[in-house]
Amino acid sequence: MNNTILELKNISYKYKNNLILNKVNLKINSGEKIALLGKSGSGKTTLISVLNGTIKPTQGEVKLFNKSFDELDRKQKRKITTIWQDLRLIEDLSAEQNVNCGLLAENNFYFAIKNLLNICSFNKAHKYMQLCRLHNSIYDKKIRKLSGGQKQRVAIARSLIQGAHILLADEPFNNLDPKLITTIKNLLLENVDKNNTKKSPKTTLVSLHRLDFLNDFDKVIGIRDGKIFFNIKRTNLKQLHLDKIY
Amino acid sequence: MNNLKLNYTSLSFLPILVSIPLGYQLLTNIHFGGFELFEEFLISAFNPKINNEIIITVINRLNETILISFLSWLVSIIFGAILGILSSKIFYKIFNIPNFFYSIIKGFLTIIRSIHEVVWGILLMQIYGINFSIGIIAICIPYIAVNSKVFAEQLENIEHKSFESINQINAPKFSSLLTLIWNPIITTFKNFGIYQLECSIRSTVILGLFGIGGIGTSIFLSFQTLNFRELWTYLWSLAIFIIVSGSIFKKIKFNKINKILSIFFIAVFFITILFSFSYFLYYIFNNNFENFNYFSSLFKSSSDLGLLYFLKLILETIILSLLSTGIAISLPPLLIGIFNNNTSKILIKIFAFLLRLIPTPVILLTLLTFNNPSLSLAALTLGLHNAGITSKLLFTNLDSQDKKKYIAMKSLGISKKTSWLLGLFSQQAKSYLAYCAYRSDIIIRETAIVGVIGSVGLGWQLRESLSSFAWQEVILVLIAYSSIAIVGELINGKIKNSLT
Repeated sequence: MNNTILELKNISYKYKNNLILNKVNLKINSGEKIALLGKSGSGKTTLISVLNGTIKPTQGEVKLFNKSFDELDRKQKRKITTIWQDLRLIEDLSAEQNVNCGLLAENNFYFAIKNLLNICSFNKAHKYMQLCRLHNSIYDKKIRKLSGGQKQRVAIARSLIQGAHILLADEPFNNLDPKLITTIKNLLLENVDKNNTKKSPKTTLVSLHRLDFLNDFDKVIGIRDGKIFFNIKRTNLKQLHLDKIY
Repeated sequence: MNNLKLNYTSLSFLPILVSIPLGYQLLTNIHFGGFELFEEFLISAFNPKINNEIIITVINRLNETILISFLSWLVSIIFGAILGILSSKIFYKIFNIPNFFYSIIKGFLTIIRSIHEVVWGILLMQIYGINFSIGIIAICIPYIAVNSKVFAEQLENIEHKSFESINQINAPKFSSLLTLIWNPIITTFKNFGIYQLECSIRSTVILGLFGIGGIGTSIFLSFQTLNFRELWTYLWSLAIFIIVSGSIFKKIKFNKINKILSIFFIAVFFITILFSFSYFLYYIFNNNFENFNYFSSLFKSSSDLGLLYFLKLILETIILSLLSTGIAISLPPLLIGIFNNNTSKILIKIFAFLLRLIPTPVILLTLLTFNNPSLSLAALTLGLHNAGITSKLLFTNLDSQDKKKYIAMKSLGISKKTSWLLGLFSQQAKSYLAYCAYRSDIIIRETAIVGVIGSVGLGWQLRESLSSFAWQEVILVLIAYSSIAIVGELINGKIKNSLT
């Protein structure tokens, strides 16, 4: 059964005369867990930016739920969330205010005011922050006062709280210590956690450098110089494939 | 032979060269008719008039000043913030509005800002007559534009990545906008709002000199009647008010805002907007509506201004700005550097405070007691008043600076003055010059105040044209005045950018 929810057709992207993505074709099916591999500068971040609609490709077509981005309404666009490599948190807001930003889409303007005035109920935000192992002592701390690992987890909590269908994560395990990496990896990839309190996005694409995590994914995509070199089931992955991209 | 090297330190002192032509003209214009008056003015400072009647007048006049300045501050800070948002790129990015509207709003605000509140005041007074609300409106018009610029500058610092991140959440546009701008707006309000309230108080006092009301009017009336003891009562009361209000402002903390206070602020925000709009509509469509007939005379009146005379006025205004800026930049570091001991520093601080406190028209009128009206006298007045302001900043920065280098140099046997220059001032010179570039924007606008009284430049011509209801001339003068201010702002903007 064809269950494609996100599709790139012949995508190219040029920036200052440099071809960053070169005729990329890709289909992502609902429920897939995909690992995106490639060297630094291979085009992984640009690919993610094209997939979430932040960057408009120079050439080609991006389709989400069989519609181009321009045709989608706000509600449909909300079904996709991103954890950026550079986190893109609002530095002057507190950790919990940043996490609550993830709820802005499903709430009205009054919620935004309450969040900024610190007068809304933070129960949901607290739940996701706890899931990301964030201690309550940092909830009201400004982002700029947090460590790299804490910031990373705030960004992850903000993405997860959105309850999106598709999660795109650009090197989400940076800055995390080994023990936390496993927790966060499980959070991102398990649909329901053991307490049944949180539902992860069904479809996940994660760019990463750690090959020992590949067992948790269904598919692996290899990218080099803006071109997809392989897009295969994880079980079919061989050293030969990795040699092509590294 | 050692050549003079142009660095930030030397550039801070070089403008003092303006004192050569300035001093020459002042010396040639000196007269001895008013020395007694000047002496009386100085002596009265130590013997102000104090009785029940004057104390009641002071309280009433200060109440008026507080009311005008607070209302104009409140309205201008709120509308300044709103227009700041409307003139920042982030607004247009979020709502996908063409940048064309951004340029229009920005340009409009630049023109509004370029005209000093005193000019707005005398212009509106000519149209509507002397009225309490004119003072508020006259301050609000340029202040809204100034505040909007400050808010917009802060909003331009929002990182594009933060915008992309919020945009990607696909929240309602207003929620996204508010979340992004909230902190820059609040921070600007905290850092700049209180300073603007102080400015609003000073502007109210100056407008008072032109008859708007408040303590400024009393100062002017007592000066006109040469009642210097009474004048100093008002000036010292004003000084006490500024010091007390300043120390209260410093104690105001916005860090811990609870729910009730937040709701109160939001209520004030909306009530001010509602009240301002209602008042504006009332003002236009009620009893003052017929006054707008004056505008029709704009197209009927003719101008007797000759081109050469007009160019002379423009040139005078530019020279006045340059001379004043030169004094404002160089006088504070020169005085602090030369008289570098604790007693002198205290005296300089008191002198600087008095220069800030006494409105420029009063300084000018005092100096006119022994000097003929001239461009140099107007420049000296404006320069001294602004030197009072730049010296405050310089003192604050120098006091908070790490003094290790200064102490190290002194311990090497280097003289106190050289150690101060190289170990302390040289590190502040760049930021000091950047502030002076900002200050010279204000000096250009303030040329109107001294011009009106000191028979110099476009300010004087504006008053003349207004008195004879020569509206075409008024428009011409305003265009020229505004153009000088805008060009000055552009040049100073480039200088500021190269210094920061």
